Amino acid sequence: MRHAGFTWHDGALLAQGLGVSLGLFAGTFLIGLILGSGAAVVRHFRVPALGTLLHTGLELLRNSPVLVQLFLVFFGVPALIHQPLTPVFAAGLTLSANTAAFVYFIAVAGLDAVGRDQVEAARAFGLSRIQLVRHILGPQALTFAVAPLVGLAVNQLQVTSLVSVIGVVDLTKAGDILNLRTLRPFAVWAMVGVLYFAAAKTLTLLGNRWERRLRAHAAPLGL
Amino acid sequence: MIAVEGVVKRFGAHTVLGGVSLTVAPGEVVTILGSSGSGKSTLIRCINGLETLDGGRVTVDGLDVADPRQLAQARRLSATVFQLFNLYPHMTVLRNITLAPELVLRRPKNEVEAQARALLASVGLAGKADSYPGQLSGGQRQRVGICRALAMNPRYLLLDEVTSALDPEMTAEVLAILARLATQGTTMLFVTHEVEFARRISTRIVFLDQGRLIVDLPTDQFFAADGGLAHPRIRQFLSKMAPSSTVAGAPVSEILA
Ligand SMILES: Nc1ncnc2c1ncn2[C@@H]1O[C@H](COP(=O)(O)OP(=O)(O)OP(=O)(O)O)[C@@H](O)[C@H]1O
Ligand SMILES: [Mg+2]
Repeated sequence: MRHAGFTWHDGALLAQGLGVSLGLFAGTFLIGLILGSGAAVVRHFRVPALGTLLHTGLELLRNSPVLVQLFLVFFGVPALIHQPLTPVFAAGLTLSANTAAFVYFIAVAGLDAVGRDQVEAARAFGLSRIQLVRHILGPQALTFAVAPLVGLAVNQLQVTSLVSVIGVVDLTKAGDILNLRTLRPFAVWAMVGVLYFAAAKTLTLLGNRWERRLRAHAAPLGL
Repeated sequence: MIAVEGVVKRFGAHTVLGGVSLTVAPGEVVTILGSSGSGKSTLIRCINGLETLDGGRVTVDGLDVADPRQLAQARRLSATVFQLFNLYPHMTVLRNITLAPELVLRRPKNEVEAQARALLASVGLAGKADSYPGQLSGGQRQRVGICRALAMNPRYLLLDEVTSALDPEMTAEVLAILARLATQGTTMLFVTHEVEFARRISTRIVFLDQGRLIVDLPTDQFFAADGGLAHPRIRQFLSKMAPSSTVAGAPVSEILA
C-alpha cells in the first residue's frame, strides 16, 4: 500500500485541532480560575457547611486521574441521567472542574499568605468582605499565586490532549486521523508535538511576563 | 460616647477581660495603662469589633458593636492606629489613606486625596505619597497609620501602643503628632507604656490589671498619693515604667516643645 502524501487539507485539520485544544484550554482554565478562587474565598471566610463540602469535592478531583474523571463524566453520568452528553460538553465540564481543584489549592495558599494584620486593619476601617477580597486579599494573593498558576496553565494545556479519547477532535485527535491516513507516524506526531510545544512555550512566556509585571509592582513590598 | 459595659472576653478557659466598664466622652483623652498581658489590646479590639464579646456590651454613640449592621456604622465613627502599623503593603501611602474614606464613607476621590495630601504634609511626609510602606522607616509608617485613621474624620481615635515598635527618635516624632491632636480636642482612647506622655495629654487614666479595671481617675488624681498611687499594683507598675517614660533621656515636655 502506498502512503498518501500530505495535502493542504491536512494543515487545515491540524490547525482546526489546535484551535479546539486552545479553545478548550482557554475556556476551561477561565472557568476553573473563577470556580477555584471562588471556592478558596468561601473557605477563607469559613462559611460553615459549604466550605467543607467544596474542600472535600475539590480534594477528590485533585487526587484522581483526569482520564478517570473524563470517563466518569462521559460514560458514567449519561448512564445515571439516561441522557447522552456530547464529547465537547463532557470534556469542558471535566477539565473545568479539574482545573478548579488545582486553582483552589493554589488560591488558598495565596490567601493564607496575606498578612493577618492588614486584613484586621481593613476590617476595623469598615471594609466589607467583598471590598476586602477585591482590594486587599485578591491583589496580594495573586502576586503569590501567579507563578504556580502559570505552571498549572501549561500543564492543563497538555492535559487537554486526553479529551481525544472520548472523540473530541482536538490537536491530538487530528494527529491520530492524519496518522491513520498517511501512515507516517513519526512525521505526524513530531508535528503535533511541536505545535503543543509552541503553544505551551507561548503560554509560559506570556505568563512570565505577567508575573514580572506583578512582581515589579510588588517589589517594594518584599512579597 | 464610647461605652464599654461589663465586657467579658475569654480565650478558651482564659478570661482576658473579666467585666470591664469604661466610657470615653467626646473631647476626652483616656489612657489605658496596665502591664503586659493585662488585656489592653483585647479591650481596644472589642471596641473596634475585631473580637467578639463573651459578655457585656460595647456601644459607640449608641451603636452596639455586637450587631453586624450597627458595627458597620460604628466603624465609621472610630478609627484605629495599630502597634505594628498594619498598612496595606501593596498600596502606595496615598492609597493606604484614601481607601477606606472612598470605599466605606463613599467620599469623592479628589476630595479624599486632597485631604490625604494635607494630612501627609502635616506630619512631614508630603514627599512620600507615592512611596510604598516598605520603603518607609517605622516612624514614617506609623505617621501614615495616623493619617489613615484621621482621613476617616473619626469621632474617636483608638491607639494601641502606637510607639512601642519604634526607636526613641521615631517615638518622639509620633508622640509630638499625638500631642498636637490632643490639644486640638481629638477624642482618643490611648494604650501606651509612655507614662510621662500619658500624664501630659490625658484627661483620664484607667488602669487595667489582669482583665479588670481597678482604677479610673482624672489624670492628676491618678498620680496623686491618695489617688491611683494608693494602689500597690499601680505603684509597682509605675516604678517599673519610670525609666522608660522619658524619650531618649529627655522628658517628654521637652520633646513636645
Ligand atoms: N487570639 C488570642 N488567643 C488566645 N489568647 C489571646 C489572644 N489574644 C490575646 N490573648 C491573651 O490575652 C491576654 C491579654 O492580651 P492583650 O494582648 O490584650 O494584652 P495587652 O495588655 O495588650 O499586653 P501588651 O502590653 O503586651 O500588649 C494575654 O494573656 C494574651 O496571651
Ligand atoms: Mg497589647
